[in-house]
Amino acid sequence: MMYMRTKIILDENEIPKKWYNIQADFKTPLAPPMHPQTGKPIGPADLEIIFPKELIRQEMCQDRYVDIPQEVRDILTLWRPSPLFRAHNLERILKTPAKIYYKYEGVSPPGSHKPNTAIAQTYYNMKEGIERIATETGAGQWGSSLAFATQLFGIECKVYMVRGSYDQKPYRKMMMQVWGAECVSSPSPDTNSGRAILAKDPDTPGSLGIAISEAVEDAATHDNTNYALGSVLNHVCLHQTIIGQEAQKQLAMDEATADIVIGSAGGGSNFAGIAFPFVKDNIDKKTETEIIAVEPSACPSLTKGLYAYDFGDVAGLTPMMKMFTLGHDFIPPSIHAGGLRYHGMAPLVSKLHADNLITATSVHQNRVFEAAVTFARAEGIIPAPEAAHAIRVVIDKALECKQTGEEKTILFNNTGHGHFDLSSYEAYFAGTLPDYEYPAELIAESLKKLPTVA
Amino acid sequence: MNRIGFVVNPYAGMGGAVGLKGTDGCIEEARSLGAEPLSPSRAVRFLAGLNRQGFFFLTAAGSMGADELKEAGITSYEIVYSPSSPDTAADDTKAACELMIREGVRLIVFCGGDGTARDVFSVTGKDIPILGIPAGVKIYSGVFATTPDAGAWVLNRLDEASLTEAEVVDVDEEQYRAGVLTTRLFGIATMPYISGLCQSCKEVSFGDETRMQDDIARFITGIMRDDTLYLLGAGSTTRVIATRLGLTSTLLGVDAIYQGKMVGTDLNEEAILELLEQHDSTRIILSPIGAQGFVLGRGNQQISSRVLKKTGTNALIVVATPAKLQHTPVLYIDTGDPDMNRDFGESLLVICGYEMAQRVRLS
Repeated sequence: MMYMRTKIILDENEIPKKWYNIQADFKTPLAPPMHPQTGKPIGPADLEIIFPKELIRQEMCQDRYVDIPQEVRDILTLWRPSPLFRAHNLERILKTPAKIYYKYEGVSPPGSHKPNTAIAQTYYNMKEGIERIATETGAGQWGSSLAFATQLFGIECKVYMVRGSYDQKPYRKMMMQVWGAECVSSPSPDTNSGRAILAKDPDTPGSLGIAISEAVEDAATHDNTNYALGSVLNHVCLHQTIIGQEAQKQLAMDEATADIVIGSAGGGSNFAGIAFPFVKDNIDKKTETEIIAVEPSACPSLTKGLYAYDFGDVAGLTPMMKMFTLGHDFIPPSIHAGGLRYHGMAPLVSKLHADNLITATSVHQNRVFEAAVTFARAEGIIPAPEAAHAIRVVIDKALECKQTGEEKTILFNNTGHGHFDLSSYEAYFAGTLPDYEYPAELIAESLKKLPTVA
Repeated sequence: MNRIGFVVNPYAGMGGAVGLKGTDGCIEEARSLGAEPLSPSRAVRFLAGLNRQGFFFLTAAGSMGADELKEAGITSYEIVYSPSSPDTAADDTKAACELMIREGVRLIVFCGGDGTARDVFSVTGKDIPILGIPAGVKIYSGVFATTPDAGAWVLNRLDEASLTEAEVVDVDEEQYRAGVLTTRLFGIATMPYISGLCQSCKEVSFGDETRMQDDIARFITGIMRDDTLYLLGAGSTTRVIATRLGLTSTLLGVDAIYQGKMVGTDLNEEAILELLEQHDSTRIILSPIGAQGFVLGRGNQQISSRVLKKTGTNALIVVATPAKLQHTPVLYIDTGDPDMNRDFGESLLVICGYEMAQRVRLS
């Protein structure tokens, strides 16, 4: 009988030594970010007030590969290389001829893929003498990851956490405390943008866009403080490519090549992480892998948004980026995948979509949880609702294979566990999850305007 | 201690079992056909689901409440009204409610059908919240809990409850018995609801009903176009849309808005058809009846299949607050034309906030 491997494990010394920068393989250059006031392309100096120089260099870098510092690789060994699993039980339950593999990022101390970039960003801030970092967090995965990273480097951390999550997700907040970060509810009275929103609307549940405004303002107005973002930006996507590079090696160990690669997409970084190395192989004509970004129907920037310049935050403090966006004033409904509640999509992922190098689809949250439960009962791991978006489409694709008899190899990024999301599962079992949907047609009728760039 | 009014219409539901489609004015006929009272057992079931601590009931004597409380083993109650005859009627329900309000109840729970809801609401208006335990033949009003157990669940969490608005629908029983369902919106009552089944959910609360109605109105008024006629259905959410435009709408009827101005109020089918002749593009903005979920065919029959043939079924824009949708899991459309009903598909997109909608199943 043939040996059926379940876990494909790389040795610690096989953690990639370089990040892959997809900008080097674009046929046309990425549209530059624009200054929020002047509407002109921004230069490195504009960003130095909130970011370290090396991250700004990486943001604009055109080199195909960027070295990962040894100090960063040393810390990554705490959980990397992450395992690649073959989902034998899920395949069996679905009775599909498809082979399903998943990269499991829930093995990191904070339980998600986010520390892959948190460690790198904190390292570069430390190298440049920064003593404090301000950031925002939605559901808490990013905030807890940055708290974890900053305490390793002895840097102070302040996290502006979207009020709805702050009130209702105490455990993520406590993780940040354990790792020594200060976590406040956003909007907060600590910033001008927070105070302005509280004055207008004291009962607001907050949003990621508001929290970003607060964290950016904090960094811009405090000495020796920088800002860090957990998704969207080019350097964040870059740091996550470690996931896809490891997955390629691990698939090769199992003598498999991916026919379909699937990732959930909120701001776009985990999707970038799993997908970019495979997109490169497609660009190089080595493969014809189908690459799918999955987003919530409630916040479908890629599938229903406009490809246009827009701000990254509510207050309009960030540079304007060309991306698929639902408008920076869009406050997504309260789906349980809090990490996917962002109005825009990473400019790199957006460009891939605009250039038809990837496809995108959106799913309702009840079908997402249905898939999550199927997966958990088959594979044991209870996925975070964010990761379960990808699982939904994996299962749909595997069932298509069952119909057609095709033995496709499907790879997806299981970005984290759902141990802090069990109340969301409870709501699913109770039948009380609404299927939120962005009313795209009605909005199109209204000819809604986005900010325009001169 | 929560002081709760509790009144049972002991005859509600009797007609249903013997095919009378309602019990108004025909208790004797129902009885002679062998109908048994349904409402008392539903009331006892509701009471049995309550936590015993924290409630003091003000009720009516005999089968109008006291008997059911006794049967459920509840002793903390006081009788504030005694009917003069065992054959109680609408006036007894109303008189009992008046006395309960005088005694300072926080909420009136009633057990009955749409007729009972109408009687209770005619006394409470919007001032005193009401909650219906369904026991009638016709349950089209939005003030009812879906089951007696669900009603008990809400009452047990009364201190966490917010208030929402819900429709009281008036059904003409005589016509109903003749096979014609004629409904009109009788009024908008206030009822308690619990947001979210589990308080520890990650789900963000979007605030109260007024805030969500404002968000819906901000969105709808933002997408209104000058080349389109808007028919605005009944209800408090649609009224907020008109208010945002600086207009006063008919709470219980259908109005028409064009280029930000009211061009017709409380329209009937003929008047709507006449207006449609003058406009190429029309959208119909409706809110479903809470809990029961009727979008078309109950309380707004002037938006008929003839009207919908002219506008097209995709002219419909459905609006409802998340609170209302939470207790309205399924929507219904009854245009009287089965083919047209099917045109609406298997689900409807319901605008529930600013740039926010929910996909809700259509039965």
